[in-house]
Amino acid sequence: MNLAKTIGPGTRHALPILLFLLVGFAAPLLAVIGFSFIPARSFSLWQSWSLGNYIEIFNSTSYLSFLWSLGLAAVTVLILAMICYPIAYGLARVFGKYATLVTLLFTIPLFVSENVRLYGWVLFFIKNGVLLGTLKAWFGIEPESWLFTNGIIVFGMVYVYLPFMLFPMTLGVSMVPDQTRDAAFDLGATRWQVFKEVELPLSMPGIMIGFLLSFVLAVGAIAEAKVLGGQQIIPISHDIEIAFTYAQNWPLGAALSVLLMLVVGTMVLLVLRRFDLDAILGRR
Amino acid sequence: MNQFKQSRRNFMQNSALMAAAFAAGGVAGLRPAFADRSKELNILCWEGYNSAQVLDPFRTSTGATVKAESLTNDPTMINRLRAGETNVWDLINVNNPWARKIMFPEKLIMPLDRAKMEPYFTKMGADFKPPYKWAMDDSGEQLLGMAQRYGPYSFVVNTDKVSRATAEDQGWDLWNDPANDKKYGVLESDDWNVFNICCIAGFDPFKEHTPEEIAKFGETAKKVFKGAKMVGDIATMNQALVSGEIDFHMTGGTYSASPARADGALNIRAVTPKKGPLAGGKGGISWIEITSVVNNPDISPLAVQFLEYVQDPKVAHTVAFAEGTFNPVAQMGNPDCFSLFTKEELDAIQYDSLEEEMARSVEYDIVPDYDKLLDIMTAAKRDASGG
Repeated sequence: MNLAKTIGPGTRHALPILLFLLVGFAAPLLAVIGFSFIPARSFSLWQSWSLGNYIEIFNSTSYLSFLWSLGLAAVTVLILAMICYPIAYGLARVFGKYATLVTLLFTIPLFVSENVRLYGWVLFFIKNGVLLGTLKAWFGIEPESWLFTNGIIVFGMVYVYLPFMLFPMTLGVSMVPDQTRDAAFDLGATRWQVFKEVELPLSMPGIMIGFLLSFVLAVGAIAEAKVLGGQQIIPISHDIEIAFTYAQNWPLGAALSVLLMLVVGTMVLLVLRRFDLDAILGRR
Repeated sequence: MNQFKQSRRNFMQNSALMAAAFAAGGVAGLRPAFADRSKELNILCWEGYNSAQVLDPFRTSTGATVKAESLTNDPTMINRLRAGETNVWDLINVNNPWARKIMFPEKLIMPLDRAKMEPYFTKMGADFKPPYKWAMDDSGEQLLGMAQRYGPYSFVVNTDKVSRATAEDQGWDLWNDPANDKKYGVLESDDWNVFNICCIAGFDPFKEHTPEEIAKFGETAKKVFKGAKMVGDIATMNQALVSGEIDFHMTGGTYSASPARADGALNIRAVTPKKGPLAGGKGGISWIEITSVVNNPDISPLAVQFLEYVQDPKVAHTVAFAEGTFNPVAQMGNPDCFSLFTKEELDAIQYDSLEEEMARSVEYDIVPDYDKLLDIMTAAKRDASGG
C-alpha cells in the first residue's frame, strides 16, 4: 500500500517533528512516570508496579517542601509584579531611545550562568564581604549578615526571574494602543481610571504570560535556596535532587516529580481557564 | 484493551532503555560491542583524577582518548556500575570498603596481577605495606585495587574562634552544646553527615543500629540541622569560615580544608577528636581511596597502564595537588615523591599532624542501615526548613 495515500500530507510532513517530540519530550516524561510506580530504590521498569512511592510521600513531611516551593514562588511573583510593572511601563512609554539601553542592562546578566551570579551575591553579602566589609571599614558598623536567611532566598529569586516577568509585561504594556488611552482621557477618565479600566485589562496578556512564566520557573528554583539560603529552606526540587543522587531512590524522585508536575500543571490550567490567553491575544 | 496495555508498557520500557542508552552514550559514545579499545579509557572517579594536569600527560604519551567523570559520593558511583555501566567504565576510584566488601563480591570489578602491582605498595607509606587490607579481597588472595589519596575526615574549625586543643578535647560534643547554635555549617555530603550525626548522637555509625539509637539519630539530626547556620559545598564552607560567618563545620578534613589552607588561611584546620564513640574509643574517621579495574567485558588495556602511571612520584604529586582539593598520597612514603612537596604544600595538607590524626581515626566503613538513616536525616533536614 502506498504510504503517502494512507496518511495525509499534513501528518506526513509533521512526522519528523512528531518523532522528535516523541523521543525528546514524551519518552523521558513517560520514563519518569513509569519509574514513579516501581518499588523504592530499584532501577528496573521490568517489575510489578505499585503506588508505594506515592503512599510514602503522603505519609512523609514532603508537603513542607511543596509548600515552601509554592509559597516562595508566589511571593516572588507578587514582588516581581510590583517591581516590573513600572519598569515595563517605562520601557514601553517613557524611556524612549534609552529603552534599548535599559533592556540591554536587564538582558546582559542572562549571559552569565545563574550559579556564578548567585555566588557573586554571596561575596557581596557575606560577613566582611563587599557590603558588610565596606560598612565596617568606612562607618565602623557591623550589622548581622543577611546571608543564609529566608529573605535573601526571596531576593535571589526576584533577581534571577526578573527578566522573565519584565519582558512579557513590557510586551503587554506596549500592546495598549495610544488611541484607547487618549479616548479614555477625552471622555473624562481620571489617571487611575485609565490605568484600571484601559491599560491594565489591555496589557493583561503580557502580564499573565509573565506571571505564568516566572511562577513555573520559580516553583522549580533550587540554586537560590542552596547558594544564598545555605539550605535553610529545602524546596521540592532539592528534595527531588536528593532522591536522585544521595538517596539513590529514583522511584521516589520520579514520584515527587510527577506530583510537582501535577500540582503546577493544575494551577497553570486553572489560571488559563480564568484568563483565556488565546482569546485575549486573538482580540488584537 | 489488554493488548493496548501491553504495548504501552513495552513502549515505556523501550523509552527507558533509549533514555539509558542516550545517557550512557553521553559518556562513552554509542560504540559497537567489543570495538577496539586500545586507545580509549573511561574513568569514574572523585575529582582530581579527571583534571587535565593528571590526564593530559597520559593522553600525550599513549595517544588515547581518556574520559573521566567525577562524582562526589561513593554509593552513586557503585550504583552506576550496578545499573549496567560496567561496560562503559574501565576504572573506578572510590573509598576503601567498597572494593572488598561490595564491588568484588558483586563481580563489578576484577582482580589485578598481584606480582605486577604489589611491588608498588612496598614503596608506599608504612600503613600501606602489602598485603594492604583494603586493597585485598576477604580471602587475602586477590589484589583488588591501588591506594593513593587518603586523609582524616571529621570536622574543620577556625582556630581563631575554637582552638585546636578545645576542638580535639570537646570533639563531637561541640554539636551538643546549645551555645554553638548558628555558629557552625554542615557540608553537603550526605553519606558523611550520616556518620557524623551518629558520632554526635554518641554511637558507632558502622554497625546495625537498635530502634533506640535510630530514634536518637532522628532527634540529633533535627537538632544539628536546626542549629546550622547553613548547609553548603566546600567552597561555601571555606568562605564562611574565612569570613567569620561560622566558627566550624562538620564533615570535613584535610580534603575540604586544604584549598583554604593552600590559599594562606592556615587558621582553617581539620581536627580529629581525641576520643569518641567509634571502635576502640577513637574519635575520628579517615578515608583511603582504592582505584580498581571495572569488570568490563571489553576492558581497555590502558586501565592497568593508568594505575601504574599514577604511581610515578611526579604524577602522584600532581594527583595530590590536582585541581579541587589537596590530599596526602600513599606514595609520599617514597622519598622521591615526598621531596617534591614544598613546605607550603605540606602545610596545606596538615602533614605535621597527619600521622597522629590517622591513628586517632577508624577507617571509613559501610553503614549497614545507611538507607534508613539517610531517609531519616533527609526528613530531619526538611523539618528544620525555614530555620
